[in-house]
Amino acid sequence: MPHVLISSKKCTGCHMCELGCSAFHEAGFRPSVARLYADVNPTTAVIKGHTCLQTGCAKCQEACPQDAIVTKKITVKPAGEFASKEKIGESVTGYVLVVDEDKCTNCGECYDVCPTNVIHEHPDREVAFKCDLCDGDPQCIAFCQNKYVYAVDLKVDKKDKELQA
Amino acid sequence: MDFYQGKVLRIDLTKGTTVVEPLNMEWARLYVGGKGLMLRYLWDLTEPGLDPWSPENPFIVATGPFAGTNVSTCSRVVVGGKSPVSGTMLDSYMGGSFGSILKFAGYDIVIVQGKAPELSTVLIKDDVVSIVPCAKYAGMKTSEIEAALRADFDPKMTAISIGPAGESLLPWACISNDQYHKAGRGGTGALLGSKNVKAIAVAGTGTVTVGDPKAFLDDIERMDAEYILTDDNYWVHEEGTPILVAITSGAGCQPVRNYSEGTNPDVDNLDSDAFQKIRVKKRACYQCTLACRNFHRINDVEGEGPEYETIALCGGNVGVGDIGALMKFNQQCDEWGLDTISTGNVLGLAMDMTEKGIHDFGVRFGDLEAYVKIPEQLATRTGIGAELALGSRDLADKYGCPELAMQSKGLEMPGYDPRGSFGMALAYASSDRGACHMRSFPIGAEVVEGSLPADTLDTSKVVWNIDFQNHYAFKFCGIWCDFWAIDYNQMAQLMKHLWKRDVTEEELAVVGDRIWNLGRLYNLREGIVKKDDFVPKAMLAKPFKTGVSAGKTIGSEHFAAVMDEYYATRGWDKDAVPTEEKLQQLDIDVRLPVDNR
Repeated sequence: MPHVLISSKKCTGCHMCELGCSAFHEAGFRPSVARLYADVNPTTAVIKGHTCLQTGCAKCQEACPQDAIVTKKITVKPAGEFASKEKIGESVTGYVLVVDEDKCTNCGECYDVCPTNVIHEHPDREVAFKCDLCDGDPQCIAFCQNKYVYAVDLKVDKKDKELQA
Repeated sequence: MDFYQGKVLRIDLTKGTTVVEPLNMEWARLYVGGKGLMLRYLWDLTEPGLDPWSPENPFIVATGPFAGTNVSTCSRVVVGGKSPVSGTMLDSYMGGSFGSILKFAGYDIVIVQGKAPELSTVLIKDDVVSIVPCAKYAGMKTSEIEAALRADFDPKMTAISIGPAGESLLPWACISNDQYHKAGRGGTGALLGSKNVKAIAVAGTGTVTVGDPKAFLDDIERMDAEYILTDDNYWVHEEGTPILVAITSGAGCQPVRNYSEGTNPDVDNLDSDAFQKIRVKKRACYQCTLACRNFHRINDVEGEGPEYETIALCGGNVGVGDIGALMKFNQQCDEWGLDTISTGNVLGLAMDMTEKGIHDFGVRFGDLEAYVKIPEQLATRTGIGAELALGSRDLADKYGCPELAMQSKGLEMPGYDPRGSFGMALAYASSDRGACHMRSFPIGAEVVEGSLPADTLDTSKVVWNIDFQNHYAFKFCGIWCDFWAIDYNQMAQLMKHLWKRDVTEEELAVVGDRIWNLGRLYNLREGIVKKDDFVPKAMLAKPFKTGVSAGKTIGSEHFAAVMDEYYATRGWDKDAVPTEEKLQQLDIDVRLPVDNR
């Protein structure tokens, strides 16, 4: 359903999305446990964003032997501006994939299949962690604030719309 | 502990040991971070009269308390020690990501002393620190060493490194982070090179805590919107420093042909519009929403920069108006590891001496063929590089033309000629690290904003200059970047999170004053005294012939009187030494040795 994408073309490599993400989910700023990241090569102009495509991908959910990746209904209403706001509107309701930590055994099946490399073992708890769109106000979008950049964007893909219907 | 990690990493290269010490929290209270904290450590680390080239000279990297959070611009670090260029305190700053990642690895400050027996890298991965010989990295340029460390050490690492210029101990060799970010001034790369260290690489997976993260996030989001992502400040993102090129030339204060004129005839080829035409990407430092940095492409050159100082000093000051050649030159300086301000000064001096028939270095203003070879020649001490490596002051002294060296305290001058902005003469002469525009920037008011007259130097400017120096001394504790024109009120709002109490603007100004006075004490202790507070005579007495600043000079006598007024207003005695009363008032706990007063 709704998911976040980083525009590699627009991204400046400031890592604010990772900082906002980790501060929201962890006890402080810890980008190594961010739910998304920008791979930045300092020498060249190349930047590659890595984000969870949620139900549009769902490879983690398919791979999970414990059914620990749960589809959860969510209304995403970013407080900040984002590039696709005009197209999407103020808010969108759909589904995200979240980890049920009671069921997750940290078996690692999902880590191996994630095409964007954004589901991992949490360093402090023996469970997987992944993007949950911050209860509807994604901090990655909130802190991609520069109006000339707005690289972190909210997207809704076709599969989202089918599910919605 | 919130904001600070509470740890100082001490590395002794001679003994090959690494030790973690607790951060001195009393000093953190008095000096906050960055510049202030670095200086306080520097004072205690060495005996007075240290030879800057000796192994004992510390190479200090200090973060500010906001590094590793999402406070924009605060990834910056200060690199400190005793300058191999000027013999003053060294504090050189750079953005990039090193400060943030060092905090995630768990350290506020790294202090490197001693000398490694062979070329080595220091590798820091959280609490695992090692000193590793690295003969295979010898001679690597900036992009090469960083790529090698990503492959050999950790793909997510960031490093500060030296290029070949640092290895060959060129006095104004700089250090680089993420290739394009430089702690440029004062010989940071020479200092690291003298320790036989090619790079310090860090990878960090830890946390910087801030108390209540959600409340902090809300406040930062508000401050970003209110203070930096504003219509007035977006020029930083849209244009960046090249915006200054047209402004300073138009005001007659851009160095042209070794500071012989202030108006650049080639300004249209090198101004912000020209660079926007070859721009391919905007880039940012870690934890900065502004993204001021510009990726350009022309001919076979692609990379970040050049910034204003490089355009001024390696453009007009050496008679070059070709944007492609300048891009190439800038790339070469980045790769070989040279400070472009000093490089442009030394080259401009050599060209001037050649043109005037003092000595033929075989380089003349605007000679592009010779020009693009200079960075390599300097870094490898080949060709005329062997002699130019003396630096402006010593090179001019050697040939009996000291009046042509545009420097103060031995540090070559940046891209603002005081004849078009009188306040800059006071800023340079009273600067704690030699000719520097980052202690006080009167040109901002005199030329960019026009809120002060450019051709006066009086009591009001003395007070303005002191306030600015104190303000920036505190700002460089944060460490906030120049692109956030942050005032005491805004800094107090952030300091409230750090100190967890209400903070007044006045108390921050006192910290700034304290730091400035500590810097003065350090320089006095190392033999840098009142007579060293000068600017080149030409800038006081020899007017330009063309442009809006033509015919105007401050006058040497008037300038001496202004400097005396500066000392008195600072609370310093007739020898420009801070008085005991002043030191007590500022709660400074160190004193000059008795034989040094």
